[in-house]
Amino acid sequence: MKMVNPGLKIIVLVLTAVLILTLFSGCRGVFYIPGASYGYYIWEEDNNIYVEWSIDRKESEFEGRILTDGKITAYNLNGWEESDTIKVEGDKIEFSAALDDTDYSDGFSFAIQDYTYLEFDLKMNGGYDLSRINLGGFLENPEESVFRIGKGYFGQLGEKPWYRKHPFSEFLGKLFSNKYFTFVYLFILGAVIIEILRVTVLAGRKRKIIGMAISYAVLVVAEIGIYFILRFLVR
Amino acid sequence: MKARLFFDNLGRALLTREIFENKNLSRRFYKYFLIGILVRLVFLPFLYMRDLLSIYQRAAETVFAGNFGSDFYQILTNYIHSAYLFVIKSIVPAISEFSSILLEKDTWVSWISFNSSYNVFTAVALFKILYLLFDIACMFLILRLSFDDEPENRLRAFKFWIFNPIVIFVLYVFARHDIIGVFVTLVALLLAKKNRKYWAIIILAVGIAIRFFPIMILPLFVFYLARSRKDYIVLSLTGISGLLSVELFSYFYFGRSVIFSLLNTQFFNYLLKPELELVTGSHGSIFIFIAVYIIIILSFLHIKNKSFDLLLNYGAIIYLTYISLCFFHPQYVLWAVPFLIVIFVRRKSLIYYHWFQFILVLVLLLYWGPLVTNFIFTPIDYRFFIYLPSPNSIVRLFYDDAGFVNIFRSVFAGVSLWMVYLIYKYNKTMLSNKLNGGED
Repeated sequence: MKMVNPGLKIIVLVLTAVLILTLFSGCRGVFYIPGASYGYYIWEEDNNIYVEWSIDRKESEFEGRILTDGKITAYNLNGWEESDTIKVEGDKIEFSAALDDTDYSDGFSFAIQDYTYLEFDLKMNGGYDLSRINLGGFLENPEESVFRIGKGYFGQLGEKPWYRKHPFSEFLGKLFSNKYFTFVYLFILGAVIIEILRVTVLAGRKRKIIGMAISYAVLVVAEIGIYFILRFLVR
Repeated sequence: MKARLFFDNLGRALLTREIFENKNLSRRFYKYFLIGILVRLVFLPFLYMRDLLSIYQRAAETVFAGNFGSDFYQILTNYIHSAYLFVIKSIVPAISEFSSILLEKDTWVSWISFNSSYNVFTAVALFKILYLLFDIACMFLILRLSFDDEPENRLRAFKFWIFNPIVIFVLYVFARHDIIGVFVTLVALLLAKKNRKYWAIIILAVGIAIRFFPIMILPLFVFYLARSRKDYIVLSLTGISGLLSVELFSYFYFGRSVIFSLLNTQFFNYLLKPELELVTGSHGSIFIFIAVYIIIILSFLHIKNKSFDLLLNYGAIIYLTYISLCFFHPQYVLWAVPFLIVIFVRRKSLIYYHWFQFILVLVLLLYWGPLVTNFIFTPIDYRFFIYLPSPNSIVRLFYDDAGFVNIFRSVFAGVSLWMVYLIYKYNKTMLSNKLNGGED
């Protein structure tokens, strides 16, 4: 019987774990795990706006208000309990809902017509925590307590490349802003790899010096390439 | 020509003559060394646990504010870090820029400020290079710990250290300073191997003053090195002299006892907490680890022809028993590694158990929550890893997280105790083969 590569096994395991987590996540628009994630998650799907919230199994109150210059034509509740309240008028939604160690997440979605903006005023336990409001993406946070988004906001966010999102944006930003460290570090890593190649792959070769020269040339070119790639990604 | 001679002599001194003069072995040594260094470098600037910042904050108190008592419990460790911080801040200006962050009293503010600094990778890498230096020094000591006429086995011991998952995790992911104490203990072990009994005990005493753990093997040292009744007394007193010196220093400098302060901390309680209540509700209890420890020590005492390899095996037994029976922090596992390395060379099956131990240690991190899981990655992007759901909160969705971890903790104890049994069995084989029934 053919042996399965252990590396392949690990990849399959990791993919399975990711799949399970995705299945347990509360939505497709913004990744969150009901009962483990903490905050508001807002996204757009099939022309509906979804507003959901979750907390890590602690008693918490979520209340808020959504205003618009358009018309709310329909709404749906998700995980709503009797004690939770929602009031929907033509251009306004007001809600108040609680979560606890058995109620992992609540939320609602609504359809809206002819609008140019949505204004949100979302509170957790009577206060504002903007870092916990995820607008169309994880850590896409508003800057003000009462904030507005335009009609095309979610579409524009979808076009945002991966390197502008967390954690890549921060990581690449630090690498680029600390160039002396980054390029010295990469050079040391490269030099160690070249040494490993010298004592393994190049060990039996006759013209070892040529192999070494090429390796270092590749390293220098790679460093220059990384500089320009980082500059492009961070700009 | 002189330069070549110098480097040849240096090579012999570092690698041992047998390995250096064997082209195949020296090439393999160099290959292992480079790959090991590469793995370490990959982790070096990006990951650390909050305690690394705390230890350098206390060092900064000493270096920038002149407070020599900033770390009362770990005086020597603080002075080593302070000296190192003084050197790197003199060489790298970026480190001086961190002085206000390091001196910030609010631990949350300093941690966030540190992680959000644009040059956090430089600081983390430089902070951890101290441990890399001690790690490299340990590699060369490990090479000499056993297998005097077996260069192949020496190289295998070296390989087991350089690719040891616990060493890499504790030093370069967790970033804890236990390697300093381990280094001093290894020096003491080598001196014991060469029968430099007073120097061995003096250095071990320094190790005890740095970190409390070497005190567990002090009785082994005394029984192995003592040749007369006078030796037992002199070596025992010398062994605890390091701790007594620190006690005297703290008493006169700070006006309070470091030993009694340590005895009242939770860390000492870890040793005593596993207890057997003799009568429900009464004060009568047996501290399980202390009882088992005494059995191990007596078992060693009663061996007539104590070899150095037996000393190493018993060191492994003690530390494995400790992490089996007592609550421990992940970095404490490092103390067992130098002893286990030598055993792995002779009994390769044990290394598979060791890898299993490492996987279980990763699960045990859930005991401490996001501090030792998500937050390790915060230099990369602190907001992302702070707001990401912690593994604990995910486990809690399905099962009580403490119960979940305790299942794995129990498996860990089982595996570690099984390793103790295998080492004990191996001791018996060693004794019957070499000593012809030398045990009482």
